[in-house]
Amino acid sequence: MSRLPHAGLLLLGLLVPRRGMPQSVGGSVGIDANVIGQALTVTTLSNLNFGSVPRGVATTVQPTAAGAGAWQIQGSKNADVSMAFVLPAVLTNIQALPGSTMPISFGATSARWNRATNNVAGATAFNPIAGATGKLGPPANPFIYLWIGGTVSPAAATKPGVYTGTIIVTIAYL
Amino acid sequence: MKATGLALGLLCGAALLAAQGVVIAPHAVFIDARTRSGAVLLYNPNTEPVEVAVSFFFGYPATDSAGRIVVDSIRRPDSTSVSAAGWLQAFPRRLTVPPLERQTIRLLATPPAGLADGEYWARLVISAKGGQLPVTGVADTARVKVGLTLEVRTIIGVYYRKGAVRTGVALSGLRTAVVGDSLALWARVTQQGNAAYIGTAHAVLTDSTGKTLSEMKAPIGVYYTMEPRYALVIGALAPGRYRLRFDLSTGREDLAPELVLPSPPVRDSVEVRVP
Repeated sequence: MSRLPHAGLLLLGLLVPRRGMPQSVGGSVGIDANVIGQALTVTTLSNLNFGSVPRGVATTVQPTAAGAGAWQIQGSKNADVSMAFVLPAVLTNIQALPGSTMPISFGATSARWNRATNNVAGATAFNPIAGATGKLGPPANPFIYLWIGGTVSPAAATKPGVYTGTIIVTIAYL
Repeated sequence: MKATGLALGLLCGAALLAAQGVVIAPHAVFIDARTRSGAVLLYNPNTEPVEVAVSFFFGYPATDSAGRIVVDSIRRPDSTSVSAAGWLQAFPRRLTVPPLERQTIRLLATPPAGLADGEYWARLVISAKGGQLPVTGVADTARVKVGLTLEVRTIIGVYYRKGAVRTGVALSGLRTAVVGDSLALWARVTQQGNAAYIGTAHAVLTDSTGKTLSEMKAPIGVYYTMEPRYALVIGALAPGRYRLRFDLSTGREDLAPELVLPSPPVRDSVEVRVP
């Protein structure tokens, strides 16, 4: 019998939450690194939320603001990961008739990343259009934290309603 | 009706987003030609279901002009490339992982007949999307509300090994520069053999007595030739002569030893002068 089915069964057992062990988002779910290697977890901590915006006035959410989108990446200590984005150019009003849109843009410092600690103030700014390469933290904190903001520019005649879109973040293990 | 329901859900939904994400294990999949199959496990540790889609492409880590490691994606690999993306399949390709449950994605290889011995590469893309949209609050038809959903794509390596596989790395062009409070180092590394070099880069800065002043370790994968840049934090180093030792070895703490192809370590060193 080949080893792979065994490995699969072992993984199956290891991924079952263990009684009495903390179950966190960060991938510490009892995966035995000595047997199968470590897990990789990308967790969306918060979506990018502009809230209510005034018509005819550009509104910016900085990556340091409470409304910024945020992710936590956990993987092998000190490993390099690349971070790239697919960004929308317009948002769509999901309540109005088709064609009701709002421009959104991203600048040279609209994104930030920080190694190991969840502290946006000390994070490195980068252009989300260009992406970045980061290094996961040391053994005690093998994390990267990632934030994104942006600017919406509603026209004065913008129809009321909820405007939304999707930001795709691609995390590649290098 | 569907759109109305969605809008109502947005406007009346919970104010806070629960953390969304999926645990992916392992972070590299090695498939043996004798079994032609592999598996990836997904675990959803959250309270909301996660929609997952799976696909493949051909790509590998390379370095840009600044020495940053990035994934080069090759849209149309030619016949000489070692791409496995065209003959790997995932089952299922779309799935929903319920809260606190796990799902297995099976990988099946159907390589062309007469495939030469060696290692063939692909990248597995796992797209995960939570079920909640972000805009919340009371229904107010006069206001303009804006929120964006974040979707995550995670890319991991898939390695198909057939027959005799061997690896190694050639190291050259080691050089350094003091940049602020760090010592930057670059080296040219070239993969040898017919498989990727999966190992660890290790750098140590010592003074004239051999005392270690700074050290770094980082996982590395060398697929062709690359010139990665690393940095050691040195703080305010006193003027003088130091030595930087740089080595590559196939030991990896994050991978099972039997998955890592062995190869003798390679080393180089250079003198570092701080004026």
